[in-house]
Amino acid sequence: MAEFLFAAAAIVLVLTGLGLARMLWGPSPADRMMAAQLLGTGGGAIAVLVAIAGDMTAVLDIALTLALLAAFAAVALTLGEPGSKRRGGEE
Amino acid sequence: MSLAVDLVMVLLILTAAVWTILARDRRDAVIAFIVLGLLLSLVWMRLLAVDVALTEAAVGGGATGLVLLRACARLLPVEADGALPGLRLQVAVGVLCAVVGACLAAVILSPPEPAPSLAPAVAAHMEDVGLKNPVTVVLLAYRALDTLLEKVVLVLGLIGVWALAPDLFWGGRPASLRAAVPSGTLTFLARVLPPIGVLIGIYLVWNGADHPGGTFQGGTVLAAMWLLVMMADLGDPPETRALRLRRLVAVGPALFIAVGLAGFGMADGFLSYPPGYAKPIIVAVEVALALSIAVILGLMVAGPAAKEPDQ
Repeated sequence: MAEFLFAAAAIVLVLTGLGLARMLWGPSPADRMMAAQLLGTGGGAIAVLVAIAGDMTAVLDIALTLALLAAFAAVALTLGEPGSKRRGGEE
Repeated sequence: MSLAVDLVMVLLILTAAVWTILARDRRDAVIAFIVLGLLLSLVWMRLLAVDVALTEAAVGGGATGLVLLRACARLLPVEADGALPGLRLQVAVGVLCAVVGACLAAVILSPPEPAPSLAPAVAAHMEDVGLKNPVTVVLLAYRALDTLLEKVVLVLGLIGVWALAPDLFWGGRPASLRAAVPSGTLTFLARVLPPIGVLIGIYLVWNGADHPGGTFQGGTVLAAMWLLVMMADLGDPPETRALRLRRLVAVGPALFIAVGLAGFGMADGFLSYPPGYAKPIIVAVEVALALSIAVILGLMVAGPAAKEPDQ
């Protein structure tokens, strides 16, 4: 069973790795950020699989943190939209 | 099998690292850097360094990305001028970076044999402290002075950020963090995610005593949730002159210093803990530190005051 889970983790790694092609080719920043998002999700999946296969509960915390903060990074992208009027105090 | 997986990881990391440098657009480079952070977190997991993996996931994947993307947004007006640094400056920067990179590579590729390690000494004295996570034992017992100074540096960093405010705005609110385009999805996320995130943040801090986790990871997660609420425009950044806010900034380092001074009377000296009470003291310091770190990181990202203080 553990071998199967490790193999599944490896496959998820390769597939999310392929998704990084979007980080290279874009074309828009949103496309690139989606590749990072996929890596956050995939990384969480890999962590869960490794945690169960290796019986390391602490690794589950990595999955939690990745899942939580990868979503957060995507929100941060909205800050950088051109024509932004966020800087209220200096307008 | 495991070699193949390692090779895939190395390949992905090199791709992300090289792209971070090659990307023409500043934001593309930052996104590649976020990807690099997430990948590094997986590498630390592969190396069984769960504490480091957690820190990298929280700081490298989330917090640094936000800081850099916000910096990009601030630089947009500058970029519009189209003024690029001259060729000589570009070459000088490239050469200096290459020299630093080469020096680091030289150091890392020629480690002393055997590698100097205090790990056996720490492992032998774990029971004296009463915690089960060796990383926390080192950070808050054996190298507590380093950790203390690190937190003080955080406070100094925040003061540095605040000092950038014009006199007129001193003590006022930082510029609003809200997204350029108001979005229902973002508001929804900012209502649903923080309760879960705050729970995970507290869990990471509490867990740090006996399992991987700790103040910095937990504090970063808490700060991220606060920033998410501010970005979705559900809450404004607080006035930087607010006394309660400043108390929260100082409580962690202040308690740490107080505990350190108390060590003169109750134990062997500065930052030494009385036997038997090490664990409760460390947990109390960690809780206070996590609060301070969360507030400091949130305020650092929010930036210097950009509005006149309310009357």
